[in-house]
Amino acid sequence: MKRLFLQTTPLPLRTAVFFAVFLLLTAALFCLNLFVGSANISFGEAFRVFLGRSGGTTAASILLKIRLPRTIAALLLGGALALSGYLLQTFFHNPIAGPFVLGVSSGAKLTVALVMILVISSLHTVSSVVMILAAFAGSMLSLGLVLAVSQKVQRMSMLVVCGVMIGYICSAATDFIVTFADNSEIVNLHNWSRGTFSGTTMDNVKVMTAVVLLGSVGTFLLAKPIGAYRLGESYASNLGVNVRRLRMLLILLSGLLSACVTAFAGPVSFVGIAVPHIVRTVFRTSKPMVLIPACFLGGGIFCMLCDMIARTVFAPTELSISTVTAIFGAPVVIAAMIGRKRGDGHE
Amino acid sequence: MSDKCFITADDLAVGYKTPLIEHICFQVREGEILSLIGPNGSGKSTVLKTVAGYLRKHGGTVLIENTKDDCLSPNEKAKKMSVLLTERLRSDRMTCREVVETGRYPYTGHFGLLGAEDRRAVDEAVELVKMSDYQNADFGEISDGQRQRVLLAKAICQEPRVLILDEPTSYLDICHKILFLEILKKLAAEKQLAVILSMHELDFAEKISDYTVCIKNGAVFCSGPPADIFTPDTVCRLFDIPKELYAQYFLSSHR
Repeated sequence: MKRLFLQTTPLPLRTAVFFAVFLLLTAALFCLNLFVGSANISFGEAFRVFLGRSGGTTAASILLKIRLPRTIAALLLGGALALSGYLLQTFFHNPIAGPFVLGVSSGAKLTVALVMILVISSLHTVSSVVMILAAFAGSMLSLGLVLAVSQKVQRMSMLVVCGVMIGYICSAATDFIVTFADNSEIVNLHNWSRGTFSGTTMDNVKVMTAVVLLGSVGTFLLAKPIGAYRLGESYASNLGVNVRRLRMLLILLSGLLSACVTAFAGPVSFVGIAVPHIVRTVFRTSKPMVLIPACFLGGGIFCMLCDMIARTVFAPTELSISTVTAIFGAPVVIAAMIGRKRGDGHE
Repeated sequence: MSDKCFITADDLAVGYKTPLIEHICFQVREGEILSLIGPNGSGKSTVLKTVAGYLRKHGGTVLIENTKDDCLSPNEKAKKMSVLLTERLRSDRMTCREVVETGRYPYTGHFGLLGAEDRRAVDEAVELVKMSDYQNADFGEISDGQRQRVLLAKAICQEPRVLILDEPTSYLDICHKILFLEILKKLAAEKQLAVILSMHELDFAEKISDYTVCIKNGAVFCSGPPADIFTPDTVCRLFDIPKELYAQYFLSSHR
């Protein structure tokens, strides 16, 4: 019965309904993430903290210094990751593209690890901006490699294999560096290199908000040319799209967004493919004006949910975020691949 | 019919890395249809792609309404010329009407939202190609014949003055070929479009064109009004068909 309703609903209504659902889920998960955790904080206590009536207590510092920044990070970085994947899928005209499978995240991970070790050993601290820049450089390097390969092979499957290989090489190099640079300052580098939202500070949040906002608004401003570009390059250029410029912007924005994620949370797997696929299926459209905001919200929901699972299921032991996102994300990716075979079989 | 040449190719040389065909000259006036014919691989698509601006010219000029095409901005050019290619259009989850709406791209604002004028143009185009029955169907799930009509509607609602079509009828059955060409003929006349198309169906090309350019072995083989071109002699020489085979396959059937 429900399925029938969903299939026959006209598009604008359907879009409105699902946006409302997405917004509700975002709000609900945001609150849940604040209240659920190993330290038991009652609802009333939390409420007082947010009204500013019980500053200085343990509950206040757990909520404001640990859970709040972590939840915001999951929301923003999840959104950024989904958008980054959406941009790469647009670029390659293929739903199987994403920052993790194309080795972009791992490239960023390697450069961030290198910079962290070099800078921390000399200055004992490293600013978020430097980390993002390092991650951006790494993203661009591995993406450049993938693009160079894509000139030679057109098949997406080969490109993904190549991306996964680049990912393995970078991960191996990172592990090597982390293992041999074992001093006290970079102990948490090990956790970071497996992917986690923990340890995010409010200062981190400020920087990531700025970068993610820049990347997301930039993406939204490209909604019109992206809409024409989905027809294919030739048709887009006949409509007056500057295809070269658009392709470059797609790569730069995607790199910026995934670099921001890697700089703060390490590599997070499969969100970039799974979320846009779910969003396209649910909204049944390919309109960028709908998909861009929906992907952002969807990514936030997905990561907040996964992060909650990561820190509560085996509490006090935490799972790495990629462990959880892979469990939920990888099956979706497989579904996307099968759906593509069955759907418009042409490349 | 006005005497204004809407699109002119003057001593045009086309090709990929090296020039493939040189010294191409033609003019298409408003309301006229020019057809390009020639054997497979002779370079018809290359000519069309160069005129449409996808390939670099190796020499010569293309004038659109007395302006060199290089002097037009991408957006200005999009308002003057639209194309229908053999390359398949990607249409991930788009309805036919959405595909038609993309033709309004050069006219909409920064976010590409359609205004009343845009909707009117889309409605008119949908009506013209008679696709209102299936305008809400998924573009990936309709027949080839319907698909070509949707693409034609998309090209029309771009409100161009020049329409370039690369083998638009090749994969259609006879009924859809006739239907498509009828719509095209009507369009050219009513909207005063200058139409350039390539095709393999000589019988149809003869009936639909005002002027024909034949291409063979890297050169313009001959050109002229259809009455001069579609003679047994010229056709046999253009396609290297032995005379007796031509007689066997063509003359008996409809001459």
